[in-house]
Amino acid sequence: MTITPLAPKWRSKLLAADALATGTQGLRGRKGRTFMTAIGIAIGIASMVAVIGISSSSKADLIAEIDKLGTNLLQIQPGNDLAGNTAKLPVEAPAMVRRIGPVEQASSVSRLNAGVQRNQYTDDSNGLDVYATEPHLFDTLDGQLDEGRFLDAQTATVPTVVLGSVAAERLGIDALVGGPVVSIAGRRFAVIGILEALPLNPDIDRAVLIGNTAAERYLGAEIVPTAIYLRTNPELVEDVRRILARTVKPADPNEVMVSRPSDALEARAQVDQNLQNLLLGLGAVALLVGGVGIANVMIISVLERRGEIGLRRALGAKRTHIATQFILESASLATLGGVIGTALGATVTVVYARQQDWLQPEDLPPESPRRSHSAPSPVSIPPPGPLASTLPTQYARADATCPRRTCPMSRRQDGLLPRCSGNGRGRAHGSPLACVIGSTTLFWIRAAMSLYA
Amino acid sequence: MANAEAPATAPSRAVLELTGVSKHYSGSPPVRALDDVTLSVDAGELVAIVGASGSGKSTLLNIIGTLDRPTEGQIAIEQTAVATLSDAGLAGLRSRRIGFVFQQFHLLEAATALDNVATGLIYQGIRRGRRRAMAKEALDRVGLGHRLDHKPPKLSGGERQRVAIARAIVGDPAIVLADEPTGNLDSRTSADIVDLLIRLNRDGSTIIIITHDQELAASLPRRVTLNDGRVVGDDTHGAHLPYQTPEPTGAAL
Ligand SMILES: Nc1ncnc2c1ncn2[C@@H]1O[C@H](COP(=O)(O)OP(=O)(O)OP(=O)(O)O)[C@@H](O)[C@H]1O
Ligand SMILES: [Mg+2]
Repeated sequence: MTITPLAPKWRSKLLAADALATGTQGLRGRKGRTFMTAIGIAIGIASMVAVIGISSSSKADLIAEIDKLGTNLLQIQPGNDLAGNTAKLPVEAPAMVRRIGPVEQASSVSRLNAGVQRNQYTDDSNGLDVYATEPHLFDTLDGQLDEGRFLDAQTATVPTVVLGSVAAERLGIDALVGGPVVSIAGRRFAVIGILEALPLNPDIDRAVLIGNTAAERYLGAEIVPTAIYLRTNPELVEDVRRILARTVKPADPNEVMVSRPSDALEARAQVDQNLQNLLLGLGAVALLVGGVGIANVMIISVLERRGEIGLRRALGAKRTHIATQFILESASLATLGGVIGTALGATVTVVYARQQDWLQPEDLPPESPRRSHSAPSPVSIPPPGPLASTLPTQYARADATCPRRTCPMSRRQDGLLPRCSGNGRGRAHGSPLACVIGSTTLFWIRAAMSLYA
Repeated sequence: MANAEAPATAPSRAVLELTGVSKHYSGSPPVRALDDVTLSVDAGELVAIVGASGSGKSTLLNIIGTLDRPTEGQIAIEQTAVATLSDAGLAGLRSRRIGFVFQQFHLLEAATALDNVATGLIYQGIRRGRRRAMAKEALDRVGLGHRLDHKPPKLSGGERQRVAIARAIVGDPAIVLADEPTGNLDSRTSADIVDLLIRLNRDGSTIIIITHDQELAASLPRRVTLNDGRVVGDDTHGAHLPYQTPEPTGAAL
């Protein structure tokens, strides 16, 4: 007997085009199942994309909103002195603050000890404040007028007022037609303007504003600043913030409170984040459940195609050819479902964002001068990690290592995946998700097969 | 003749040589599906493997076809020791040198006859156009040149088996292995299939057929008889006896 141990002279080879064709053959041949499985994947991914998309869009919207308002606005208020009484800010404080290099604008307001009414005959305490201020407060706060105009050099010296948005509402003044007036300390002041709401400065919303000169002249008030607002170079906000207290009151910096109004809003965004995380967790569970279902379907399709696997082995397929076929099959299925799901989730996100009137990317000024950090695009859609079911491929591979079991000639199939799964396990993937799905389905299959045997 | 030493100068004509091949299945009780089988098949032979159910015929064919490895013993196909081959080497061998025909046909339901036959060449890395041309030729050879575009569900049992045979021979393998190719067919169709196999053998194919059918076996030039995993008979008669359809009365020939 002449036996020559040879290196393999016959090679099994699968062209790329044929690999692709065989990889999608199973899907084309079972259109109903392909459709249902793809829909399963699509729904899972769509819900994931929508949850992530909507929650991050809402957060991005909030941040963009805050950015638009400006994160470089600082506010100085008097704190308490050692005795526990409210301290006072020095009269020259606004001028000192303006002298700091990076400070671009600074304006002060002085809260007057006076109430404001619709007319002198009513005397209800409506919780509104009267502030004396300077005309450039409007620029410093980046205010918007709902009606009329703001104080200027001339109107700041005569009995005129500008109403904050809440103040206007409480006083029942929503237009300037008919020349509305208000009564402060028994004196009539003509309303010349109504401000829009200032999200960063709710205290101004609840105030009526008069000029410093008019306050001194008609109310005999003494102008002592009770709050100073300032805008700084966006890059140097923290540096300015650190030196403000010492600049305003070098002797008692502890009696000065410095805050950044946008911080409060951002903190609110962070609180929302917790709810979003919860939603995300729910979405992940939904996807996991969907994933287990998909893995089951894929495993069934591998099991019911043992005959085909055996045939292909008999026709000369290598193990890698079989594995490639099933990897391509699950990958195309996952891609199909993933693309549909992403499109679906993105659509839901965009439609929802439109309904909520969230900022769209084009709403943002191309270069917002007051933006201190670049805002993420408000409508953000996360990339879908298409959770390709790599798991069934592992079974296909395990099957392929045991030609006897999968051979169409053999009637008997001894035990499922006992020795053969050993070298396939854990090779195809390493993700914890696949691990969970893997152990669940392995258990499930063992149970099913023991019922069969 | 199975153990005949080939002269050192002349290359052996054997396409298949088994030496002391055994296959054991552990279990209780352990099964000796094959027990010390030594067998040699030359190029151009047509061999029937016969034996009672459970005698190890399918096991033997799986081992010859390299779908299964023996517990003991050696197999050489065209002088290549199968034991020395890796999975890739075995796949290469199966893709080019061995053709299989199954009792259950094992065709791809969704593919046409032509594409089913062309699938027989897919793992040889042959381009699709050429594959289909070769498949058409093979279908012509089995007399199905007029059914190229039919899918298996629309073919009769005999036609399906012809497609499967065309798939087995399309790559011009060294050996064609058929496990009860007529097991699912009526006697009339069986006779046609056997005729086809005999004709293909005359054209040069080496064919090994497992069969239960005594009459079919008797019509073939060589019969290897298995019993409990052992070769108990290996008789050859030079001339082919004409194969005849069994009478419906069951009268013996
Ligand atoms: N995977 C297996 N595990 C255990 N025993 C097996 C296995 N495959 C086959 N056998 C046993 O090996 C012996 C030979 O089986 P084989 O299938 O080769 O018989 P056969 O001659 O082809 O029978 P039939 O004519 O019914 O097809 C039988 O006793 C069978 O039970
Ligand atoms: Mg058998």
